[in-house]
Amino acid sequence: MTSTPAIKIEGLTKDFRLGLRGLKLRAVENLSFEVKDNQIFGLLGPNGSGKSTTLKVVLGLLRATRGTCEVYGVPSEKVRSRVDVGYLPEAPYFYRYLTGKELVMFYAAVCGVPKKQRERRTQEVLELVDMQHASDRRVGTYSKGMLQRIGIAQAVVHDPRLVILDEPTAGVDPIGSASIAKMILELKARGKTIILCSHLLAQVEGVCDNIVILDKGHKVVEGKVDDLLEKHDTTNISARNLKPETLAQIRALIASEGGEFLGAAPDRIALDSLFLSKVAPSLEDTKTRD
Amino acid sequence: MSLFRICRIAGNTFLEAVRQKFFLFLALIALGLLGSVLYFQRFDFGSSELKFIADFGSGAIVFFGSILSIVMMAQLFFAEIENRTALTILAKPVHRWEFLAGKFCGVAALLGVFILLMIIVLGAFLYYRESQIVAQYAELFQGRRIINYVGLFVFGWTQWLKYCVLISLTLFFASFSNTNLFSVVISFMVLIICQIQYVAIEVVTRMDPSWYTWAVEHVALIFPNFQNYNLLVPMVFSANAGVPWSLAGSVTLFSLVYVLVYLGLAVFSFRRREI
Repeated sequence: MTSTPAIKIEGLTKDFRLGLRGLKLRAVENLSFEVKDNQIFGLLGPNGSGKSTTLKVVLGLLRATRGTCEVYGVPSEKVRSRVDVGYLPEAPYFYRYLTGKELVMFYAAVCGVPKKQRERRTQEVLELVDMQHASDRRVGTYSKGMLQRIGIAQAVVHDPRLVILDEPTAGVDPIGSASIAKMILELKARGKTIILCSHLLAQVEGVCDNIVILDKGHKVVEGKVDDLLEKHDTTNISARNLKPETLAQIRALIASEGGEFLGAAPDRIALDSLFLSKVAPSLEDTKTRD
Repeated sequence: MSLFRICRIAGNTFLEAVRQKFFLFLALIALGLLGSVLYFQRFDFGSSELKFIADFGSGAIVFFGSILSIVMMAQLFFAEIENRTALTILAKPVHRWEFLAGKFCGVAALLGVFILLMIIVLGAFLYYRESQIVAQYAELFQGRRIINYVGLFVFGWTQWLKYCVLISLTLFFASFSNTNLFSVVISFMVLIICQIQYVAIEVVTRMDPSWYTWAVEHVALIFPNFQNYNLLVPMVFSANAGVPWSLAGSVTLFSLVYVLVYLGLAVFSFRRREI
């Protein structure tokens, strides 16, 4: 872990010129935030809120109209800022005529993984994303979930410190989605910093440490997930085999201590937890993070 | 490192092109067309027939080479943009100029293979007919050959250079245009200008010097004169005189300048393109 933030964005504004008259569309306005090393950071917002534009600026694919963006202290418009970055684009399309293994090997070579290590690294990441069984098939024959997994493999094949995942679970079924969540947590355990852009808020809540929410190009919320979601004046108590008279006593005790009893109802599990427990029990524990 | 990345991108581009049916289809048609030339034997004996075969083969190279150069370059470039694979690759530590150079080299390699294949087949046909003709009219030829086969390959080299210029030109248009179709149409129009620009030059050289003739002469420099590549006769039918190496050298230099200029312009225009 380093003290230099993985990403530091200050006063970022991005305008797009529209048409010949040069009308401007402001996609992001005066955005500032930092992503610290070895955390899972959620970049959230509705469609058109400026998430993808921000990511593209981070990746040097777009230039900021105003403001600065640094990746591990290097301005993002410099190519060397991307040496330690892996990226999975939204709805990824890869070279359909390559096999999964050829694809990962190609990106490993482009990223400068030495020839001697390329084969080993490719095998490692194929195992990480559980794609060894389909590595000799052409990418054109992959399902959406397989495409996302091979996309994650190409993003981490050069062992980057920062991994940017744009909608990694878009169009993926709950099993694939849970499997990707598990991979994200594993990447964090390996010391990576992950930026996650997703509309699956339950998943973001389950894996992210910090989030920023954008709306119409402006930052509207920033902070730790636990701090933002915790109701500091409310406590949940969960109990098993509680008798009605015990519940009445608890209610009376709370009232006598000056508290307010808000309700008691049978506990529920989330639908996707039920789904995973029946269809893919091995992935069910990824729904809840320690 | 840059060279290595360019080679990888070029290799990938080449592989993509080879695995496409369009290339194989055109290559097979071109070879088929070339093969049909052996059925056209109702000509005078000797060099006339061989000249016809060589012209026919050269015509096939020009026709299919032009289509391949423009269509494959535009298609392979826009496939990267439209399928968003460019996004993935440019998000790696890859300079934009490396990406363009890789695309250019991949398509140039494809055209190299195409032309080499065509030249080998054309050379085989020419050798086959030439041997028959020389044997049939042994007294007339007295063991002398008509075709310069080294020259044939040098001619192939100059044709490849011509297509490198055309590929770089198409890449330049593709670097700023929004659609594949636009790049293809503009590139074909410029190809026609390059083929016939010598007519304009000839006309103005016969006129009295004025700002107009000066302008035409200088504007014409933007478009490479593709008549400079009409080297079939000096290269292939020069068995006795040898290969005109100085001509091949000047054409190589001429092509290199245009390729570098067009690639430079493509890099400049692609530098800030929003992907």
